[in-house]
Amino acid sequence: MTATFEHAHDEFYAAAVRAFRSSTAADALDALDWWHLLTELNDPERRAAVFAVFRAQGRVLSSSIALGALMARPYVEVSGRAVEPLVATLVRDSRRRGAVDVVVGNATGSRLLVDRPGSGAMILDPEDVELRPVDIPGRLELHEVDIRVARWHASIGENEARRARRWSALVGRTALALEILGAAEGALALALEHATARQQFGKPIASFQAVRHLLAWAACDCAALGRTAAQTVALGRDAPVRFDEITKALAGRNGRRTCERTLQVLGAIGFTAEHAHHHFHARVLTLDSLLGTSADLMADLGGWLRELGGDPQIPLTLLLQDSRR
Amino acid sequence: MLSRCAAHPRNDLHDVASFATAFESWLATDPDSVRDATAPIVSFADRVAAMSRLMETLYTEGWSRYGWPEELGGLGGDVLHRAAMWEALARRGVRGMALFEHLEILAPTLVAMGPHEFVARALPEFLRGRERWAQGFSEPDVGSDLASVRTRAVEVDDGYLVTGRKLWTSWARYATWCLVLARTGTLESRHRGLTAFVVDLRADGVHVDAIDQANGTDELAEVTFDDVHVPVTRVVGEVDGGWRVAMHILSHERGTFAWFRHCFLYRRVVENLAHGCVTDDRALGGALLDLAAVTAASADALHTHVATGSLGPRAAFTKLLLSTAEQSTYDWILATDADTAAGMQDDEIALQRQEYVFSRIVTVYGGSQQMQLETIAKQILRLP
Repeated sequence: MTATFEHAHDEFYAAAVRAFRSSTAADALDALDWWHLLTELNDPERRAAVFAVFRAQGRVLSSSIALGALMARPYVEVSGRAVEPLVATLVRDSRRRGAVDVVVGNATGSRLLVDRPGSGAMILDPEDVELRPVDIPGRLELHEVDIRVARWHASIGENEARRARRWSALVGRTALALEILGAAEGALALALEHATARQQFGKPIASFQAVRHLLAWAACDCAALGRTAAQTVALGRDAPVRFDEITKALAGRNGRRTCERTLQVLGAIGFTAEHAHHHFHARVLTLDSLLGTSADLMADLGGWLRELGGDPQIPLTLLLQDSRR
Repeated sequence: MLSRCAAHPRNDLHDVASFATAFESWLATDPDSVRDATAPIVSFADRVAAMSRLMETLYTEGWSRYGWPEELGGLGGDVLHRAAMWEALARRGVRGMALFEHLEILAPTLVAMGPHEFVARALPEFLRGRERWAQGFSEPDVGSDLASVRTRAVEVDDGYLVTGRKLWTSWARYATWCLVLARTGTLESRHRGLTAFVVDLRADGVHVDAIDQANGTDELAEVTFDDVHVPVTRVVGEVDGGWRVAMHILSHERGTFAWFRHCFLYRRVVENLAHGCVTDDRALGGALLDLAAVTAASADALHTHVATGSLGPRAAFTKLLLSTAEQSTYDWILATDADTAAGMQDDEIALQRQEYVFSRIVTVYGGSQQMQLETIAKQILRLP
């Protein structure tokens, strides 16, 4: 990760933030040439650009079908089926309703990919599904997917789907981690602005140590997530097993913690509907619930390591390969 | 046969991956000094002795000379060589760096800021474990407020006379040299009137009192200097430029050093898992997240150090992340191995308990957690 490489990432991220701020999400993706970048995920620099878009989406609370398109990409690659754009659905475990298929962004009119481990993956035409919007704050478009086909038919056989599955989950979790980062950074920016403007006892509250430390911890949580997610992106397919889960769990935990600390700094104004904080907070919570919550993943990761043993440390030599490629 | 690399440096080992592979092969021959350093040694003095023997071997075989400049007794390469070497030693079961942690805290600054002639003689002796180092920053009235250092250095014909007291001086009891931050300007000059000196702890006028610590070790000491003569050839950096030296040292202690220390934390996790443990999976998962964050942040610090030579205020993040990871790792160890709290006549447990208690103070040394937060608030977030 050379300085120049980092600099290029920052520039692309800044451009993505500008694009999402000034136009619709769909237009922003086109303007960033994102769909083309998506076809070059194996190139480390292009991959970094593909993922920077998610951080930008979180930062400006934009919403698109990018996550599902990214997660569908490995299936397109293994099957050779030229279906674009294809949007992957995600399965969420509901205590009340069991497995629920959801799709992020407005996927109306797109073909959807539904993967059922053990039975392959099926590509569904728009008329085969009903999309029911889930009303949540966070300016996140989220739909539950009702599948209206009589019979499961694997468009991509289990053998091919199996080859795509791990990479799909890895890119999906990494993208979610980066979108959580962007949203957490958005919450932090609001709290920083408030802390320097809001006066109490005749001075800005940012001059009180208790407030400064809350903000510094929030910045530290964001920095930890930013570095870890950048490393996961840089490693790509070389990421050690379950490293995507570590990154996603870290994102959920640190993202939530950041929102809680920034809410404390904002005080009651941050708890109003008119203030934007709750949108960032809500987005972090919702994204944390997809592809494994941080609470579940932390327990799973601990259990996995306890049962299987092994060495969870990434060797320096692997990180060097990644930076010198 | 690999011992030949000491006398005949192999160019291919300048590639870190090749170096790491060659070093692993050497470790696989199960050298005595490495095996000795993997034993749980409760006495700090015995631990230092075992580590000194290991350092002597690593130097003789050439391994520890990689990562240091050739003109200073090294074999070239950069901090990534050192990071790979200590990572492999940790994986092999070496418990920690003992006081050779200063190789990664003090030595990079000595290499960058000199005095060149002295460092060319002293660094090889440090690397081979024959001479050891202490860091004299804190004083009885000076902890976080380093700019208030009172230890004085008065210029005389052939150098300086240093007088004052240093407290919490790491490893002074075991060290030959102490890097002392002393006042060459007025008290009012604060950070602008400080100079860094290398003081010989064997010199007349030096008195070292070890401090028995709460965890049963005696790494820390109080050191008194009474008109101790220091030749001008042992000034580090510029006269009145001690603040820059101190900040350079602290940025390593808070940044790149995290890589080295977190390798040993991963070993504690792996070893405890191998011994079998009760379930506290979420605590273990949490420790894994914290360790992963240190890996990412400290690898970034290593790369930044190689690319630019300095780390800046972002090292405060790495320091906070390391202390968090160290505490969550030992929280899990305490939860999963009750013997740690109960205590028993067993070196492994005694050492684990010692380490657990130490993990409660990692938020104090090297700049307290509150100082790191303040650095972030002021220098990164630019709060008023």
